[in-house]
Amino acid sequence: MDTIANPSRAEATVSLTINGKPVMGYEHETILHCAKRYGQFIPTLCELEDIDHAPGTCRVCLVEIEQSGAESKHMVTSCNTPVRAGMKIETRSKRARAMQKLQVELILADHNQDCATCTRHGSCELQDLAQYVGLKENRFYDPERVAARIVDTSSPAMVRDMSKCVRCQRCVTVCRNFQSVDALVMVGTGFDTAVGLKYGLDQKTSACVTCGQCVLVCPTGALGEKDETDRALDYIFDPELITVLQFAPAIRVGFGEEFGLAPGTNVEGKIIAAVRKLGVDIVLDTNFGADVVIMEEGTELLHRLKHRGQPTFTSCCPAWINFAEMHFPDILPMLSSTRSPQAVVGKIAKTYLPEKMGLDAKKIRVISIMPCTAKKDEIVRPQLGDDGVPDVDVVLTTREFARLLKREGIDFVELEPSTFDNPYMSEYTGAGAIFGTTGGVMEAALRTVYKVVNGKELDKIELTQLRGFEGVRSATVDLGGTVGEVKIAMCHGLGETRELVEQVRAGTVDFDFIEVMACPGGCVDGGGTLRSKKKYLPHALKRRDTLFKIDANRKVRQSHNNVQVQALYRDFLEAPNSEKAHHLLHTFYTDRKRAMTLTVKEVWEEITMSTSVY
Amino acid sequence: MTEIAYGVWQGVVRNTKSGQLPSADEFPELKNFETFNDGNAVRAFFGDKGFFVFDENVSLIDAFWHYFNKAAEQSCGKCTPCRVGTVLVRDALDAMRRGLDSSLDLDQVQILAEQMRHTSLCGLGQTCANAFLDALTHFRDRIEAEIARKAPVRAQNAMTYMTAPCIEACPSKVNVPRYIDYIRDGRPAHSLGVILQKYPMAATCGRVCVRFCEIACRRNLVDEAVGIKTLKRYVADQQKNGHSVIFNREMVEEPLKPSMKVAVIGAGPAGISCAYHLLLHGYHVDVLEAMDTGGGMAAIGIPSYRLPKDVLKSETDIIVALGGRFLYNQALGRDYSLDDLFKRGYKAVFLGLGCQQGTQMGVPDEDPTLEGYESGIGFLLKVHDHVAGTKKVELQGDVVVVGGGNVAMDCVRSAIRMGASRVHLVYRRTETDMPADHEEVVAAHAEGIDFHVLTNPARIISENGKVIGVELTKMQQLDADAKGRRNVKPIPGSEYLLPCTTIIAAIGQQVQHGSILPKDGVGLNKWACVDVDQAGQTSRPGVFAGGDCASGPSTLISAMAAGLKAARSIDDWIKLGHVRFFPRSRIRKMLNENHLLVSDIVEVPIRNEYRVHHPELDPEVRKNMFEEVEQTISPEAAYAEAKRCLRCYRVYEVITEQPIPEGAA
Repeated sequence: MDTIANPSRAEATVSLTINGKPVMGYEHETILHCAKRYGQFIPTLCELEDIDHAPGTCRVCLVEIEQSGAESKHMVTSCNTPVRAGMKIETRSKRARAMQKLQVELILADHNQDCATCTRHGSCELQDLAQYVGLKENRFYDPERVAARIVDTSSPAMVRDMSKCVRCQRCVTVCRNFQSVDALVMVGTGFDTAVGLKYGLDQKTSACVTCGQCVLVCPTGALGEKDETDRALDYIFDPELITVLQFAPAIRVGFGEEFGLAPGTNVEGKIIAAVRKLGVDIVLDTNFGADVVIMEEGTELLHRLKHRGQPTFTSCCPAWINFAEMHFPDILPMLSSTRSPQAVVGKIAKTYLPEKMGLDAKKIRVISIMPCTAKKDEIVRPQLGDDGVPDVDVVLTTREFARLLKREGIDFVELEPSTFDNPYMSEYTGAGAIFGTTGGVMEAALRTVYKVVNGKELDKIELTQLRGFEGVRSATVDLGGTVGEVKIAMCHGLGETRELVEQVRAGTVDFDFIEVMACPGGCVDGGGTLRSKKKYLPHALKRRDTLFKIDANRKVRQSHNNVQVQALYRDFLEAPNSEKAHHLLHTFYTDRKRAMTLTVKEVWEEITMSTSVY
Repeated sequence: MTEIAYGVWQGVVRNTKSGQLPSADEFPELKNFETFNDGNAVRAFFGDKGFFVFDENVSLIDAFWHYFNKAAEQSCGKCTPCRVGTVLVRDALDAMRRGLDSSLDLDQVQILAEQMRHTSLCGLGQTCANAFLDALTHFRDRIEAEIARKAPVRAQNAMTYMTAPCIEACPSKVNVPRYIDYIRDGRPAHSLGVILQKYPMAATCGRVCVRFCEIACRRNLVDEAVGIKTLKRYVADQQKNGHSVIFNREMVEEPLKPSMKVAVIGAGPAGISCAYHLLLHGYHVDVLEAMDTGGGMAAIGIPSYRLPKDVLKSETDIIVALGGRFLYNQALGRDYSLDDLFKRGYKAVFLGLGCQQGTQMGVPDEDPTLEGYESGIGFLLKVHDHVAGTKKVELQGDVVVVGGGNVAMDCVRSAIRMGASRVHLVYRRTETDMPADHEEVVAAHAEGIDFHVLTNPARIISENGKVIGVELTKMQQLDADAKGRRNVKPIPGSEYLLPCTTIIAAIGQQVQHGSILPKDGVGLNKWACVDVDQAGQTSRPGVFAGGDCASGPSTLISAMAAGLKAARSIDDWIKLGHVRFFPRSRIRKMLNENHLLVSDIVEVPIRNEYRVHHPELDPEVRKNMFEEVEQTISPEAAYAEAKRCLRCYRVYEVITEQPIPEGAA
């Protein structure tokens, strides 16, 4: 379908003027889009073209129009007003500029202006906007109104600070139209309108899966991760503790931009150097955990393939696990019981590693750097700890890690790249590296499963036929031997996932193995990655390409050939899916679906702005 | 009297003092504006297009404070200028009316008002500053003089009313933009709650309503009306998906003692709605129904392919959940009289009898006792039994249905599902004249019905007590009459024979003969319907009526509205001995009589977005079955459709001499 923003096929046939210059617009094209094509800047706030979002609520992108035949001029919002033949558009008239400026001043009337303490300081779209419109005064600001706004800190992963919300509703659109989680709603009316959770719940008890895609589109600091940089520093600077840090496959390709490097630059070596400089004792790689996951999940898959008829779903992605538990609990038996790479590294770092290195396991604190908000939620799952002691102690998102380095005054760009040096848990293969992108887990698993079935490696290591970028991709792969053909599918983004899961439940599709990543694109675009202003996931493909390059350049490219993984099994776990491996590296899931029943009375008590009868 | 001292309407200024007196065609002549209620003079009126002041002593600042107070309270809070502007202007006016220094001066307030008018997203924000800006432009001296006094203004009696064209068009006055807002906000339960404030049968109405609201919808001026009915059905149908809104006895705020009981006669839409509101008022309600099932015309008159029986039942069950009782197989006139009911201790009675006697065509040889002769309503009753499985009906051969209304459409579409080899629809005017919903006509065509328009029955042909055919005559259109309607007359010599096994006369209905007897003391009007006043009171004290039995065959939504109105009247009558003045009805009347409602112009371009349509079963499949043809729309479609609403809210205000008496809730 053609979207308004991208009128394809059609010719630009609508003749009009912008600031006196003749231009040609497409039929149904918005004034904003047309102006952009002609290089005419109009300040905007709520609009976000990448998610087809122009609710017209902030009312900042005002332009003055004169329609042919009309007597007077009108102010309209350019984001949702279509061009018309003969229209004369003034984007910079005195009236337009004055009204744009006043609009921003009105937005600030109840906006928390403690900018220095805000995580978006310096990268805030509202700050930019105030500068664009030349705001000089703030006459309507009332701190009491700010104090009345809700700040929801109930979730271990995310914070929703309504004192910084501009009601652009981008988060609602992403949650609803892209992730199909539909947890976010608009609540309240009039001055108190805000973003809330469905059924009046808080972030923790709601149907939110903490994927964090809402954070990526928020123009201000209203949505964000729960900041844990202080806790990480507490661990690092406690001389009694041994800090172990792991970072996810996607971190190394999605971190350099923060320091001015080109998107997709591989900064693995610099990250290792930076972490050492921070004072962390042991640096590990989550990629190692990914290789272990392949050994466990691959073995589990082969076992499950003996009884076909229902698919096995991957279990690396914690937002996907939340989604399944809260929205489709009936499919939980189809989920692989293998823990995620982060949880695998956490557990091994507190069992095998101290055994090997002669450390006191009680003194170990595991810090993870993840491109993910849901990983913060994952580590507090009781089944991923031992007697209340979590396997991973703290998760920092990519954004927090960047903040941490800045706090510690580390000049990232100037750092000399370093390498891993832990002899037990830092080696990784190309298979582990590609876990960070959609299709990567599948490709890594098939490389190993093929070897197990056939006793030899795949002739062609790269399964390029799986490397598309569509929301759902499927293929039939011949694994040979006693297994033969398996039907596989990979999907990314929970909207696509919901459709696929519904098809699986309805029995209209037949798959053996399905990889799911909750974030569109996979972990490289996770909800914990760096934010981009006025863009949604602009660097997805560059980050992905770098992951494939890392894989291509690895000497060892199959998880089972990772010598440290081989040592782990030889010296500690015995074999994949052994009793010990099951005990340490597998988990279980619980039905967390909540049916919400409201009485009409409860609903009526909440209804405002409608004639109340009773 | 109604002498306007000064005012502005659609930019035209009237000022008696300065002799600025626009002519009648420039300025509205106000009818019925002297008093709001008995002896209570109207001092001023404010709306979206301007204002009229009748009393020189009215405080404009206080009046506009009331107006902005309403606007701020009703702002949906999505767009910046309305969300913040209404509050800032309101607070500034509040300080001024109290004689205090406002943090914003008049110039600043004016800039904010301009910002709201010119940059707000919806009708509320765009219009709520209009009258104020007119006053600032043309009568600024008066406002400045008020401020200069630096003393609190004497409190004025004000009533504000916010409405929209769709609300005014709806007999039940459902707050349509509000329930659409709640969908857009992602809160379907609250959306349903808005509808439930007016009547319990939301899923039913969401399927079969005739949609006066959509005719009034201003989105028609852009592309197509918002799919209001479709959205209503969407929220009502969310009840199935694990999340639900439930009724229980606890929601009755103040249960009354057991002797406070009311009898509702007829479990149709009017009776159900009346019983629902009486129960919520705390009464003990018995619903006496002649049939063995609830729903009335919604049950028997609407086939299950449009309204599944379980959907309807779940809504009539609400009465039971609220503590009401259904007494089935109880027919007025046969099993009891009105006197019997009062003897049993009922404080009041509501008549919701409906119109269930089919009207005859009045053609030669018409005999309702003939085998194969049916009235439309009688046939639908058989269809109901057929679908319910209580009595199978098999049709064969050709079936002829006479009429062009929704009942006729229901008859033809049911007949094709019951084995008729061909189904003919005979209507004396043209297809565009048919009073049936357009969608129904389209669906009937799709299912293969033969339309014979400009055709009328002339004689029924029978043999051995069985219908074997009908003689039809072609009709021709006459010139348009004064009302623009083109009448028809037969074309002599055009008669022809259409053989058939069944003829169904679906041309109208009346109150069932024998239900209301002279001894009941309830007067009927010249159309043989129950005579009622504005409040739904009949000629017999304590007896109220509404729905088809009072109005003649009408719509589901009108019947439910009548039930609500009667419930208010009954509550007043039992507790106070009389029915109270109802302020909202009065202000609506002022608006309608004087054509003060919103204009029908959309001045700026709006992106076209066409409305969503229900997924439908294939006509070839569905014409053999009675399962529901239209399916519920998806959440994605509902969100998209909800965004099409332009929210044409407008605020109106009257200032009166005396306090306005409190009306029924």
